[in-house]
This record gives sequence, structure tokens and C-alpha cells, in this order.
Amino acid sequence: MTRTTRNLNPNPRFPVGTLTTAAKRLVLWLAAVVVAWSSDSFAAETLRYVSKPGGAKVTIEGTSTVHDWITEGKIIGGAFEVEPSFRTDLTLKTVQSVQGKAPPPNLEVFIPVTSLKSTVLAGREKMDEVMREAMRAAENPRITYKLTSMTVKDPVPESGSPAKFSTKGQLQVAGVTNTIEMDVTMERLDGDRLKFSGTKALKMTDFKIAPPAPRLAMGLIKTGDEVTIRFEWIVGLSTAP
Amino acid sequence: MLLLCFPARRHTAGPASQPPGTDAVLAKRDTQGFIIPSTVKPHKLPRHTDYDSGATEVTRREFIKDGSVAILALASTPLAGTGNAADTNAPVSGTDSATDYKGQSPPVSLGLIGCGPWGRELLKTASVLPNAPVVAVCDTYPAALKRAATLAPEAKQYENYRDLLADPKVEGVIVATPSHLHRDIVLDAIKAGKHVYCEAPLAADIDDARAIAKAAKESIKVNFQAGLQNRADRQVLNLATFIRTGVLGRPIKARQQYHKKQSWRAAAPTPERQKEVNWRLDHAISPGLVGEIGIHQIDLANWFFMLRPTAITGFGSLRQWRDGRTVPDNVVAILEYPGGLFLTYEATLGNSFDAELNLFFGSDCAIMLRDRRAWMFQEIDAPQLGWEINAIKEKFYKATGVVLAAGYSKAMPNQTAKPTEVPQDPKSPLQYALEAFVINSYNHQAAIRDFTSAYDPSDTNALKEYLDEIAKTRVPAPGWAEGYEATVTALKANQAIAGNQRITIEPAVFELG
Repeated sequence: MTRTTRNLNPNPRFPVGTLTTAAKRLVLWLAAVVVAWSSDSFAAETLRYVSKPGGAKVTIEGTSTVHDWITEGKIIGGAFEVEPSFRTDLTLKTVQSVQGKAPPPNLEVFIPVTSLKSTVLAGREKMDEVMREAMRAAENPRITYKLTSMTVKDPVPESGSPAKFSTKGQLQVAGVTNTIEMDVTMERLDGDRLKFSGTKALKMTDFKIAPPAPRLAMGLIKTGDEVTIRFEWIVGLSTAP
Repeated sequence: MLLLCFPARRHTAGPASQPPGTDAVLAKRDTQGFIIPSTVKPHKLPRHTDYDSGATEVTRREFIKDGSVAILALASTPLAGTGNAADTNAPVSGTDSATDYKGQSPPVSLGLIGCGPWGRELLKTASVLPNAPVVAVCDTYPAALKRAATLAPEAKQYENYRDLLADPKVEGVIVATPSHLHRDIVLDAIKAGKHVYCEAPLAADIDDARAIAKAAKESIKVNFQAGLQNRADRQVLNLATFIRTGVLGRPIKARQQYHKKQSWRAAAPTPERQKEVNWRLDHAISPGLVGEIGIHQIDLANWFFMLRPTAITGFGSLRQWRDGRTVPDNVVAILEYPGGLFLTYEATLGNSFDAELNLFFGSDCAIMLRDRRAWMFQEIDAPQLGWEINAIKEKFYKATGVVLAAGYSKAMPNQTAKPTEVPQDPKSPLQYALEAFVINSYNHQAAIRDFTSAYDPSDTNALKEYLDEIAKTRVPAPGWAEGYEATVTALKANQAIAGNQRITIEPAVFELG
């Protein structure tokens, strides 16, 4: 198609520079509204924190008829997405998503079941096998958690650490999902890193796990239903989008 | 095992009945009915116990609990069918859904390269394991491949090892070719990202062994295990731990022998194949008796003493099998270790008396290891350890040996068991070794998968750190370092034997550089 007109004005019906003052004001006002709305809703500058190696720790502590046991892992994968003010407002007072004034931050984590290792001195393989089978690891290789609510619990000190949150989320273990409530503490570390930590008592049976009763050399032992999970998760500000 | 089981045993052991054949030394009994030899020095505490450090106040309850943990930990591979006390004492409850666990990992698919007699032995052992499917076998000689195929009918057959390495189903390989052919195969396998179980010696010359060890060390993805199965054998591991407590006193010397009347020659239908299959009889490529067989024994001395030899004197002759071979059938090597500690190694194919034997002499006792069983012969002035009073003893001519065996005291809740009832470990050393290889390979690849799924996979430093952490939880098994050290020692010994000479060993040769 060939352009035949030399008139460069895209719309001759409303020649540029002929708007009334009132109309100009209206246009400016509309533009301001549009800009404000879009920046708020699309949140183009959402901060994304991703798992960083080193320092991550998850332990599961349980009991048995013989002795207490501990399983330990050093891998927690996942990401935490939150509005930019989270980084600058150390007291978190203006961070809507953790003040219950906006949807909560995006937070999803996972723990590979095979990364959890028994801490017994010897015979570890047998204990790990017990755990893998109890957690039905072949079908459910990961423990996953998705945050559904996160609110600041106590006033956060000016330094930003520690910040305490009440959280709710969907915890999936062995393919069974439960909603759990948990208090989570956050510390700010150097290099734009955050460390989240928490403790939660859980019951194996809530996740349809029958407490294992392995027959070992010393006889039959039976594990208790209650376990305690502790975690420390370190994330760093991601430079990638 | 014995050491750590002792506290628990003390509570369970009833009055001992004297084993038949015990001599006058064992005549006395203490007030509780325990037999005490006349050599016991009163008020003498055991020198090495796990209870020396830490809290002094231990309640009985805690004591029993801790003792149980020790048993649980160390007895985690129960001897099957021994009817041990713990099993029969277990609470009987109809509602308990007790589960038997074997301590196995999910499977790792294996390929076997080299299907000679030893390769097929490895194949048979792998077939016993629930998690070591052999999915591929490889040999350049069709008859060997065919024999392997009868043992592993499901396995895919390859004539070229490179094709086997290209098979994506293969996760780990067992290299059981002649020693001088290991190098290219192992290097290519590591390059292909396959876990490697490399038979010992790692190679027939030190440069090749170093290349293999270096590649294994530098590779992140691969779990490497040397075929020194003694290092994975629970019986020998327990003995190593026991010797490391310092029970020998001052180590004085060691003596090892391998006596077997056999030709070491294999039959083959054609002259070419005869030459190929009898590579061990050609001095140009053979590591010799000391390199092929002695390596497993000499490695024990390096391991138990935690030392490397500084010089080796060797002698070799052809006494029995003068069939044109150029490798001695009668060898002696004297290995000198720092501080004047000696190891004498003798091997012959001309006489079978006393078969295989390992003796470690110290100022407090001598320890004999043969056929995976061990005995301790204490000096009269040696400090008493305590538990040996109740242990089973066996007579050897004029000496009395205290039986040392993993899982042994557990199998004997009281002192009525006779030495003949000592349960044999149901697993062979090779089975322990392959089990360790599969479990460690699985854990290694799972660790890489887990790590890279959670963190930036290009961060290899962090991954290495994590793998080092995971390596601490390895099932005991010899890696490239142990394999290389043993190979260097054995090949140097063979060099000394071949030249009937004394050669000194520069410490640098043990380093990878």
C-alpha cells in the first residue's frame, strides 16, 4: 500500500494543538490514572528471591521405642516473590502483601526426599530406605509447600531482623496435602539475602504415613507418629527476571 | 563390633560355661561368674573405650539406650538365620506391621566390560543384589560374551565398549578387562558420565593408574570405586576399626602369604586366544602375582598401619610352571615402612599349605586374618581390654586366639556357643563391594539431581561443596585415592621382584601431581 497523502497528522479531525485547556487537563488526569493503575496491578518490578546454596537446612526429628531419630537435609529449592517495598521498608509497615492488605507474596518451596539423610553413625542406608518408603518417594520425590497467607506478627525492629510472620500454606508430603499454620522468622543477611526459619510439629498419619516399624537386627522398633520439622531457608535476590 | 557391643552384652551375659578346650589360664571366675584368666591385672582399665570422654554421670537407662544405639548402628546388617538374641526378644504384637528393610538404594543400572572368569563372578554377585540390574555386557571375545549372556539374559550385548558407553540405559560400569586395558575404557567411561567400578590394580603401569585416578578425582558427576573389595567387607572393616584403636601396641611387622598350587594358566582353543587370555603370564603386561593377587593383601597393611612403603626389596623365580611363561611363580617382597616397620609378602603357585594368611604383629598382640576371620593373640604383659575375658577362643598349636568377628558377640548371648557355631557372614566381600558401589552411585547421582533442581546448576563450586558433604555419608568403599595407592605399592613391589632388587619409592609417586 502506498501512502498518498502528505498530511502527517494521524487524525485530521482532531488536529494537534487544538485541544481546549479543560480537555488537556482531562487527558493528563486520565494518563496519570492509567500509569498509576498499571504500575500497581502489573507490578512490573516484583522482586524475586531464589534459593541459594549453602546454609539451607531441614531436619525432621522423631521418636521411637528405642531412641530418638533425626533426618537431615541441606537442600531447599524454590522462590519468594514480593513487592519492591519489601526490600526497602525494613519494618515492612508499607508492604501491603504481608500486612493483610493485598494478596500474600508468592512463595513455593520444595525439598527432594532423597536429600534427607539419617544421622545415625552407621546403618544409615537402612534408615534412609525406611524414610524413602514411608514417604512414598518413588511417586512423590518432593515435599512441597505453597504459601497462602503471610502476615507480620510482631512489630519489626528498625534493622529489619528478625521479622516474625504468621503463615498458612499447603504442605504436601507423600502426595497428601494439608494446610498448616506456622510461625516463621525472617532475618536479613548481607548481599540481599533473606533467611527464613521455622519449626512445625506434624503427625505422620495426617499425611497417610503409617509410622514405620522396621525390623532391625536388634528387634522390632516402632516410630512415634509425631515428628518435628525445622528448616532454615536462604534466598538471594535474583538478577534474572 | 565387639568393643561397642560389650556394654550391652555385660548386662545380658549369663554365667559363662567354659568352652571346651580352654586351658588353665581360663580357670578362675569372678564373683558374678565371669571367667577371668589369671593374667588379668586388677584395677586396670581398658585403655581405649568410647566412654573415656564426655559426661561421667550416666544413668543406667541412658546407658542401655546408648548401648542399643551402638548395636543398632553397627549391627545394621544382620547375619541372616543366626537366631540372634535380639530377634527372639523382640516384642510380639499382632498389630505391628513390621517391615524388613535391607538398607538398599533404588536401582542403578550397570554395564559389565570384560566378561572373563572374574567379570562373570562380578556378574553373578550383581545378580544377587536387588538394585543392581546388569543391562549391558561387553567383550571382544564372542564366547565370553555368550557365557555372560547366560548369566544375564536380559542384558544387551556389545563387542565394542564404546557402544556400551553410548547406551543411555547404562548408569554405571564395571571394568573387569585385563589390567593393562583399563586406562582407555575407564577414561572414556568417566567422560561419558558413567559411574566406574574399576578392578584392582587400576592399571598395569603407574602412569595409567595416575591418569585414571586423576580423571576420577576431577570428575564431578561420577562415583568411582576401586575393586579392592576387602575395603568394603564388613568383617575387614570391623577389624580395621579395631586395629585403629591401637590394640597392637607398637606395630612391629606384618607378614602375608598367598599359597596356592595352580598353574594360573587358562586354556583356549587357538594360539592367539591363548596368548590373549594368559596376559597374566607375560611379563611385559602382567602386574605379576603381587600385582594381581598380592595387591589385595598389601593394601590391608597400608590401610591398617596408615602408612606407605618407602622401599621394597623383591625376589622372584620360576620354580614350578616352566611352560614358557615369563612371570615368576614364586615371589618374596619385603616392604619397608617409615620407622622400621616391615611387611614380608610371599606368594607361590607351587605349594598350597596354609593358603592365604595375614599376620600383624605388635608389642601387645598379634592379629591373624584369614578367610575373613580374625584372631587376636595377646602377649602376657599386654593390657587387658576387658571383654576378651568372655570372648570365644580358639587354639592354634600352642597359642590361644581370641575370635574377632563382626556380629559375633551378638549371635552369642551367652558363652555356650562353640567356635564352630560362629556364623559365617552371608555376604561375600564382593557383594559388600558392589552393594557399596550401587548405593554410593545412587546417592551421588541423586545428590547432583537434588542440588541442581534447587540451585543454579552452573554453580559448580557450591555443587562440589555439597558433594563433599554427601561423600561423608558414603558407605565405606575404596575410591580413587585408595585404588591408586594400592596400585602404586603393588606395581613397585612387582618391579622389585622382576629385577630381584631393592628399589626406593619417592613419596611423590603416591601423589597425583
